[in-house]
Amino acid sequence: MSQSITDYAPQTITELVGNPWLAMPMAAGIIMGALTVNVLMLVWAERKVSAWIQRRMGPTEVGPYGLLQTLADMLKLISKQLITPANIDKPLYHLAPLMAFAPVVGAVALFPVSRDYVLLDNDLGLLFVFALGGMAVIAIFMAGWGSNNKYALLGAVRSVAQNISYEIPLILSALSVVLVVNAMGGSTASGLNLSHIAWVQSHEHVWFILLQPLAAIIYFISALAETNRAPFDIPEAESELVAGFHTEYSGMRFSLFFFSEYTNMLIVSMLAVVLFLGGWDGPLLPGPAWFFLKSYALIFVMMWVRWTFPRLRFDQLMTFCWTVLIPLSILNLLATALAISVL
Amino acid sequence: MGYFAKLFSGSKSLVSGMGVTLKELVGTTAQHKAVTLQYPKEKPVLAPAYRSAIKLIRFEETNSHDCVACKACERICPSFCIKLDGGKVEGIKKKRVQTFEMDFALCSLCGLCLDVCPTATLEYSKAYDEAGYNRDWRVDLVAEFRDYEEEFIRKQRAIEEAAAAEKALKAEQAKAAKEKAAKAKAAKEAAAKDAAPKDDAAPKAAKEDAAPKDASGANDGHTDAEDKS
Repeated sequence: MSQSITDYAPQTITELVGNPWLAMPMAAGIIMGALTVNVLMLVWAERKVSAWIQRRMGPTEVGPYGLLQTLADMLKLISKQLITPANIDKPLYHLAPLMAFAPVVGAVALFPVSRDYVLLDNDLGLLFVFALGGMAVIAIFMAGWGSNNKYALLGAVRSVAQNISYEIPLILSALSVVLVVNAMGGSTASGLNLSHIAWVQSHEHVWFILLQPLAAIIYFISALAETNRAPFDIPEAESELVAGFHTEYSGMRFSLFFFSEYTNMLIVSMLAVVLFLGGWDGPLLPGPAWFFLKSYALIFVMMWVRWTFPRLRFDQLMTFCWTVLIPLSILNLLATALAISVL
Repeated sequence: MGYFAKLFSGSKSLVSGMGVTLKELVGTTAQHKAVTLQYPKEKPVLAPAYRSAIKLIRFEETNSHDCVACKACERICPSFCIKLDGGKVEGIKKKRVQTFEMDFALCSLCGLCLDVCPTATLEYSKAYDEAGYNRDWRVDLVAEFRDYEEEFIRKQRAIEEAAAAEKALKAEQAKAAKEKAAKAKAAKEAAAKDAAPKDDAAPKAAKEDAAPKDASGANDGHTDAEDKS
């Protein structure tokens, strides 16, 4: 690592191919292919993990170890009739699945999977990921409102309240990492650049989970809430709200929501890896291997959490966010800023 | 509880909860101890006392049931779920059942038929996954024996014929022995009459001749009597 800390610049796919009009569809193809495989495998993994925790076997019939079960389910969902309820708000209802789907695909492009290559190198990458994450809230609310269904609306309202609340500790904990990056990495490169965040950790031989343990925990909890996963799956809450905001969606429209939920899991895990676990940094194995190993380990923890804890009540959820996570993350941010200015 | 005490105890319980699920996960994967029974591929192990609808016992020595169609079970059944028919078969002593219809849906598993069966050829089956397409769905319990029935009758007939032939033979032998014994006795008596005036050599030879035959004849007569009883 002879490079100095400030002149690190990974190659983007545009630089690699040369022609941006060729690079863009290529990147889109890579992302869509990878995400589809990812979702198929994650759904299978989720079912297996839940089965093992409950002393069951999970899917075993389709393909080796039931690996192709999700593929069969996907084909079934694609071939299903799309039921459109009467008295819906048509534009909102039809746009919502796309609105949930598009941002998550866009956000994946920013992650530095390896040291030398990244699909899109953006100095405001972290901000961009959070902005796209915020769009998911709009999509969920559109779905709930457009469905003209009381369960869907209740789920959407809960989701908006939850996601807006939990975005605060999420961003505050990420912000303390940005402060550290800026302090360590000099002023020329942006602390919001995801490739740069990973690079600094590798260059300084310290993963930020060691410098910011509290921020890491707060980030992980908030990320669970952001992805609407148990124990924070209040927007869906199948025992209370049928299926929450996607009650009225069937077939491929439903699969788009499903797709975005599992891709969101991957995104928050990858972001956690970049922010706290050193990104592609690791011995022996190549960068992408480490990156995905860490990401999927975190996803496993998310599944493990989901099948361990019961769902929070809505007031407990809000109390936890506003009296525990937000104060602690603010304190952590202030302490970080103080430490940086003193040192 | 204070704010931090609550946070601390809450975190502790979360971690211990995750420990519980991790233990189960490892138990399922590493020790292969999933509780799932892959039903059509694996069959459950039933309790020894498990009782289901009745069936006819297949005895080892005859490889068939021993139902003599006495209809005792049909008469005693409180649910009227047994209907059987049978009768005499040419060449064998016992009657044989022809059809034994059983309505599993009506049977209350009371077991009276088992108690009343004179040949003890009924027992509880371990059938647990029976299914039918209509209400009056009757199972013929003799069905599984039907293929073998002809051979069974043939064999049984042969056994009985053999037994009869042996008996006849023995009776004949016994009769012959008796006649021989009687003859010997007569000869002995005649010899005894002649003994006084004649030499010692002649009666000695007659005695040696008669003695063993007399013994064997008595023996035969004894076993024959036992067979008859």
